[in-house]
Amino acid sequence: MAIRANPKLIEELEPYGAEDVMKCYHCGNCSAVCPFSADPYVFPRKPMRYLQMGLEDKLKGQLDPWLCYYCGECSDQCPREAEPGETMMSLRRWLTSKYDWTGISRLFYRSWRWELGAIVLVAILTAIGFTLFGMSQGSIAHYDGPDAFLPSASIHIFDWVLAGVLLTFLLSNAARMWWFTMGRDKDLPTTLGSYITSAWMLPAHFFTQVRYSKCEHKRSWATHLALMLSYVTMLVLIMFFLTRMASGPEIDWSVHVAGYFATAGLLLGTALFLRNRVKRSSAQYRHSHESDWIFLVLILIVATTGILQHILHRSGLDVAANVAYIVHLSLVVPMLALEVPFSKWSHLAYRPLAMYLAQVRATALARARSGEATALRPGAERTQAHAA
Amino acid sequence: MTERRIGVYVCNCGTNIANVVDCDAVAEAAQSLPGVAVSRSYKYMCSNPGQEMIVQDIREEGLDRVVVAACSPRMHEPTFRRAAEMAGLNPYLVQMANIREQCSWVHDPGETATDKAKDLVRAAVYRAACHEPLERMAVEMCPDTLVIGGGIAGMSAALELADAGNRVYLVERTASLGGNVARVDLTAPYLDSARDMIVDRVTRVVEHPNVDVLLESELERLDGFVGNFKATLVRRSSGEAPPRQVVDVGSVVVCTGYKEFDAARVTHFGYGKLPDVITSFEFEQMLKQGRIELKDGRLPQYVAIVHCVGSRSEEFHGYCSRVCCMTALKYAHEVKSALPKAYVSDVYVDMHAFGKGCEDFYRRSAEVKTLFLMYGKGERPVVRRADPGDDCEMLLTVDEQLSGELIELPADLIILMVGMEPRDDAGQVAHLVNISQDKDGWFIESHPKLDPVATTTDGVYIAGACQSPKDIPDSVAQARAAAARILGKISRGKLEIDAMYAEVDEDLCSGCRVCNEICPYSAIEFDEEKRRSHVISALCKACGACVATCPSAAIKARHFTDAQIFAEITGVLA
Ligand code: SF4
Ligand code: SF4
Repeated sequence: MAIRANPKLIEELEPYGAEDVMKCYHCGNCSAVCPFSADPYVFPRKPMRYLQMGLEDKLKGQLDPWLCYYCGECSDQCPREAEPGETMMSLRRWLTSKYDWTGISRLFYRSWRWELGAIVLVAILTAIGFTLFGMSQGSIAHYDGPDAFLPSASIHIFDWVLAGVLLTFLLSNAARMWWFTMGRDKDLPTTLGSYITSAWMLPAHFFTQVRYSKCEHKRSWATHLALMLSYVTMLVLIMFFLTRMASGPEIDWSVHVAGYFATAGLLLGTALFLRNRVKRSSAQYRHSHESDWIFLVLILIVATTGILQHILHRSGLDVAANVAYIVHLSLVVPMLALEVPFSKWSHLAYRPLAMYLAQVRATALARARSGEATALRPGAERTQAHAA
Repeated sequence: MTERRIGVYVCNCGTNIANVVDCDAVAEAAQSLPGVAVSRSYKYMCSNPGQEMIVQDIREEGLDRVVVAACSPRMHEPTFRRAAEMAGLNPYLVQMANIREQCSWVHDPGETATDKAKDLVRAAVYRAACHEPLERMAVEMCPDTLVIGGGIAGMSAALELADAGNRVYLVERTASLGGNVARVDLTAPYLDSARDMIVDRVTRVVEHPNVDVLLESELERLDGFVGNFKATLVRRSSGEAPPRQVVDVGSVVVCTGYKEFDAARVTHFGYGKLPDVITSFEFEQMLKQGRIELKDGRLPQYVAIVHCVGSRSEEFHGYCSRVCCMTALKYAHEVKSALPKAYVSDVYVDMHAFGKGCEDFYRRSAEVKTLFLMYGKGERPVVRRADPGDDCEMLLTVDEQLSGELIELPADLIILMVGMEPRDDAGQVAHLVNISQDKDGWFIESHPKLDPVATTTDGVYIAGACQSPKDIPDSVAQARAAAARILGKISRGKLEIDAMYAEVDEDLCSGCRVCNEICPYSAIEFDEEKRRSHVISALCKACGACVATCPSAAIKARHFTDAQIFAEITGVLA
């Protein structure tokens, strides 16, 4: 069956950043130079071809864009300046919006005004909500203790509710990703066994990003890993040790030392990435989508307000600390509720998931191939018998 | 046989010959041959001292024949003939024995090789004894030129010759000048206007005092030979008794161009059946009228351009038509600028972007978001009508090579890039001016690399697409190259013609005319009054076909007489 080309798809991808893909003339340099491209996932040339011709269904079924870490080698080598690396990046943005069933992601990626507007709206609502809640609970003059403006026990419960909501969105989107790339392919002989035996890849890739380290420039990998680990540390601290974190005003070294490291990591990591993007220091930082800026700036502000309220609290300036806390929270909420399931941050789930699914898929394909070989053998024997 | 004084020179060619053949032994054996006065072996006969040796021997030893046993005469015969001439000996008294290509290079070292070399030298000595001094002929060069075809090539050649002060007769079969280029809107890759280019040329040609433009006219007959042709030109337009005129010209430039491939011969594209499948020339017409539209007047949303229609296929023409790839890219640009919302697809086999500025043009076509799809050579996309629910008129199925997928491409307007073919009357023209055609019907040049505009008939040149598919710059370059060749001849005033040609002994000729037909160069005339055949020496290439054919043995080829050939055979067998 012939596949219908759709020359219009490329226009749909443009707002996601795929502006140069039509320049590609398929020399294949990019796929040859890419450290991650290997059978059966040969990219970036092939996804670029699908995109040029507008084969939407093929693209939706591809894991390839997630196997790319945007080291930028391909864009550097491309003789046509077709920016294959940025095309892969754009495909990731587009896929994110395709996985997302709410349509919010699509809105965000296609217009930064929507994304920024939603963040501001959620921030204002959160600020109002917490202010009202705080005033009904205690006094703005107290950061902790029985009269605390925002008692950590309540915030703790709120955190868990928030986590539940965003996980629901993220997991339902991830399920759609599975369906597009694996589930709906009836001919793929996957087994439960291979899903189980490859499951270790999920945490392994999540926590080490070991594939990223294969890029020629180790700096990006190290920065990215540090940023991620800092964030995870912070998350663990907040989700499990919030009461101890917010107690005081004495410093509780057993938790705070981890907090300081994490904060330093977050500030440094985002600052470095921001600097690279401003300076356009190498291929992967040459093209910044609005969503990239929003994401980095948001983390930077969240980390800054976080450390600010901590310092203010320790300095005995409770009113100021409470104000900083409100600002901090009103940015944390949109950062988590909007960025994780609907925007750039969703890659924390999709990328390890893709590597895991890619492994399962490759195993299945290999099995299908060897199955074919066995199926052929009786025929081959017959021919030999005839020859004899 | 009168006593001869023959000099024999055996060249060692460094080690090329000497490693296999005992050159000294060959020279020594030659010493005892009848008439041999001097016989020497030397390292490099073609070197200055080698030539000097010959000159000196002719002068001091009174040699009257020279035999050089060395490489192929194609290589150094002119060298040794020149040496003989310098010493006052007629150059046709030199004979070569090829003991390199025909001996040392094809045999193992040893006595047998040396024996063969001796045989070859003996044959040459026997033959040389029978050589006669020959004189080269000089003929007048008429400075007027006939140019056939009023396209871009013909006009360029005419202007070049006329500007240099020579009369040109420019014969064009149709009612206007300009040829195929006049049917084109813009040109690739710089998107210059073809019309401006043509209008300028036509005006200059028409107004040029040295150019006689003969429209609706043809060449009917060409007699004579280089420098001295008589061309009969006929005007076709005026009914029963078309006016004829005979003009004297020294040279002829054939610039008859090409015709486009008939797209209806390929059934897969539905040309002729589907209204919006059109050829590139029909699209040019649309562009010249300034509106790209479908047959029903709507604007197309999807435009597909298909390459290699009739070209590079086993069924039709194996060759590449050379201009269609860049013309297709030109269409992509023109469609995008006229209809910015349209989607242009370019369905090609290989992108031949070899010309100056063309690779860059290809890149720019991709930058305006042309979708390129590659189909396999030998395969062909198939067009069908779209289904009612589709947002396009037609669908083109392509086995797309860059993705390995079978793709259905939406299209409203399909442009077929038709290739070039020789004109229907190319055979007639070739016959009239006595040139040949290759298997595809294109005129053949004298040498594909070193002599691209001359033909095997002296004084007849070819330029432009009648020789093979060609773009405008190449056609113009060829036209001006042909003009340069002609101007070179004109400036010398007289033409020297090789002394080797056939001669009819009128006393022996029976007037049977067998030779008239056999001569591949049409060099033999029949004199109706004397009832005898006669060789036009300027046309004769001394191939010898007539000599062998003549039942009365009345034809003699100068420098290849029976006596000379028999002497050579006797020599090799002695
Ligand atoms: S290197 Fe550039 S032009 Fe070549 S295939 Fe990759 S993207 Fe296309
Ligand atoms: S950016 Fe790096 S990983 Fe991604 S496709 Fe290009 S070379 Fe491969």
